[in-house]
Amino acid sequence: MSRFVALPKGVSEETFARAINEYRALLGEGRVRTDPASLQSYMKIMIPESEELHKPSAAIYPKSVQEIQKIVAIANKYKTPLWTVSTGKNMGYGTAAPATRGQIVLDLKTMNRIVHVDEELGYCLVEPGVTYFDLQQHFKKNRMNLWVDVPAPSAMASPVGNTADRGVGYTPYGEHFLFSCGMEVVLANGDVIRTGTGGLQNSTSWQTNKWGNGPYVDGLFTQSNLGIITKLGVWLMKGPPPGGYFPFLMKFPKVEMLPDIIKTLMPLRMNQIIPNACIVVNAGWEAAGYFTYDKNGKGTNRETFYKGKDSLPPKVFQQIMDKYDVGAWNFYAALYGSPEQVALNWKYVSGAFKQKFGKDVRIITEREAKDDPIFEYRRQLMMGGSTLQEFGLYNWRGGGGSMWFAPVAAARPSECDQQMKVATEILNKYGFDYVSEFIVGWRDMHHIIDLLYDRTQPEEMKRAYKCFDELLTVFTKNGYGTYRTNTAFMQKVSQSYGQGMRDIHHKLKRALDPNNILAPGKSGITL
Amino acid sequence: MTSQNRRSFFKTIFAAGAAVAVSGTGTLAGSAQAAQAGAIDGICLYAPGLGTASQFVETMRKSAPGTWSVQPLAGSLTDCYFQAALLFEDARKGKTNTLVGLLDQASFVVVHEAIVDRGGRFHYVTNEGGDRVAFSVEV
Repeated sequence: MSRFVALPKGVSEETFARAINEYRALLGEGRVRTDPASLQSYMKIMIPESEELHKPSAAIYPKSVQEIQKIVAIANKYKTPLWTVSTGKNMGYGTAAPATRGQIVLDLKTMNRIVHVDEELGYCLVEPGVTYFDLQQHFKKNRMNLWVDVPAPSAMASPVGNTADRGVGYTPYGEHFLFSCGMEVVLANGDVIRTGTGGLQNSTSWQTNKWGNGPYVDGLFTQSNLGIITKLGVWLMKGPPPGGYFPFLMKFPKVEMLPDIIKTLMPLRMNQIIPNACIVVNAGWEAAGYFTYDKNGKGTNRETFYKGKDSLPPKVFQQIMDKYDVGAWNFYAALYGSPEQVALNWKYVSGAFKQKFGKDVRIITEREAKDDPIFEYRRQLMMGGSTLQEFGLYNWRGGGGSMWFAPVAAARPSECDQQMKVATEILNKYGFDYVSEFIVGWRDMHHIIDLLYDRTQPEEMKRAYKCFDELLTVFTKNGYGTYRTNTAFMQKVSQSYGQGMRDIHHKLKRALDPNNILAPGKSGITL
Repeated sequence: MTSQNRRSFFKTIFAAGAAVAVSGTGTLAGSAQAAQAGAIDGICLYAPGLGTASQFVETMRKSAPGTWSVQPLAGSLTDCYFQAALLFEDARKGKTNTLVGLLDQASFVVVHEAIVDRGGRFHYVTNEGGDRVAFSVEV
């Protein structure tokens, strides 16, 4: 029996033991862990596959770029693959577990320096272990009027990890990669590069000019296994003056209203009257946020309304909407600027929706929302605050299973409507509910669907896997790409983008990482 | 390595805790491996809806003799994350020697992360049905 939890593919126990000895000589025993208790947190997955497929062999914790350079040298020597995580909060996308069994988790949470924050021009340079919350605390401590755009698990996620996975948030800076500027990357051969203008000696513009000279390469290191990002520049918003942040909610009673909602909001979004990555949330997602316990200790969740194992019938959905007073669609957005600008823009926004929907839209601002926890959660997200409320979704169905199915849609009414219908039909066929939000980008939508299922039920796990597989197949056939996926489906998503892209990814991998030591399998790329 | 004696003790308290959890009043004791029976100075995190503080204290004292306090994880999930982080830090500083919990799925997700983010490790994590999770943290 092996003394290790798992071994990398093709590496013998003896070779692996020698590699571990070298890692320990470099970092010490405490920062190279192979015991099951230390690896347990990396095995906590929410995707419908066995943990066995994703078990790491070890976890190592570097503290500097120089240590990472030495780590990749050892990895090359012994062919021990490294699965890099920043803070490892990729819940629903595979969490911190490697794509394939036996990889060593290179956990960068021990590199958590906020290297620099520039209040004048609104940017920062951070290491991978810095969380959004850390940044917010830094701003507060130093009385800086700056906002950082956050993804939903803001308090514990990291700007480097989320940007590297091309995550999105909810302020005007919601497209994270777009608002990043300059990277430091350790390559598989140990070289360190600084992208953009960062290579210039004494560069003054590393975090202010994205492009530098020649081909722009930052994208090569996102959703990627071609390098290890060790520093990232992030652009920050200036907080608006008092009275200059105006979040609001509009509730719509019918599912069929989605195309008209999109049709009304997109002109406002495109001309920047609504400047933020606003959200159109369905009733299932919205209701899940109101989880509470009854006097018997039973949570009021999906089961409170429906005992069946199949998907919620429309009648029950209506009951849930009535109970929680949520719309079939719930549109959250915000206005930013001076109070005068906000007041003027609100006239345009409210006027456009009132004109289109009349009495079928209910408009709620902070004044009407009072202390509603879900409004507060959205208010926080749209101003770059810290909230973890999104995880309330995990109580809705129970069982600890969650997979984000995340296609993109061109932001056209008909396309969003079609995606919603196709997804609902497939999910319902497998007995799951359509729980979704559309995050409105510059020209596209991130159509985020949480496939919630019970991981304690093997049959349900299999069904969830098949359901996701069919969603992917059907969406691909319709020309709908998936912007991000979990470790169980990376290969299939990669195939959906065609052989040409796979070939170029493969050539880059061979050129930059010939020993395949960096996160093999990430985004379906391996040698 | 945990001794055989201690193993059997933990098994007993786990069974007791699980039984109460199933009955609906809800608590667990789990494998509180950090402390000897009778030497427990423990804290039990729980979701308030799963029982009252006095029920938890009573059950913990019966199933795992020692000094127990209970901590409801109240407020938003963000609050849960930071409360759990503080409690874990306190435990590590020696204020308690045993940290266990019984939580709903959502609260558990954030508590788990709060603890591993601070270098913590778990003795075990067990699903008690689909809607609650029992766990014990190494202190």
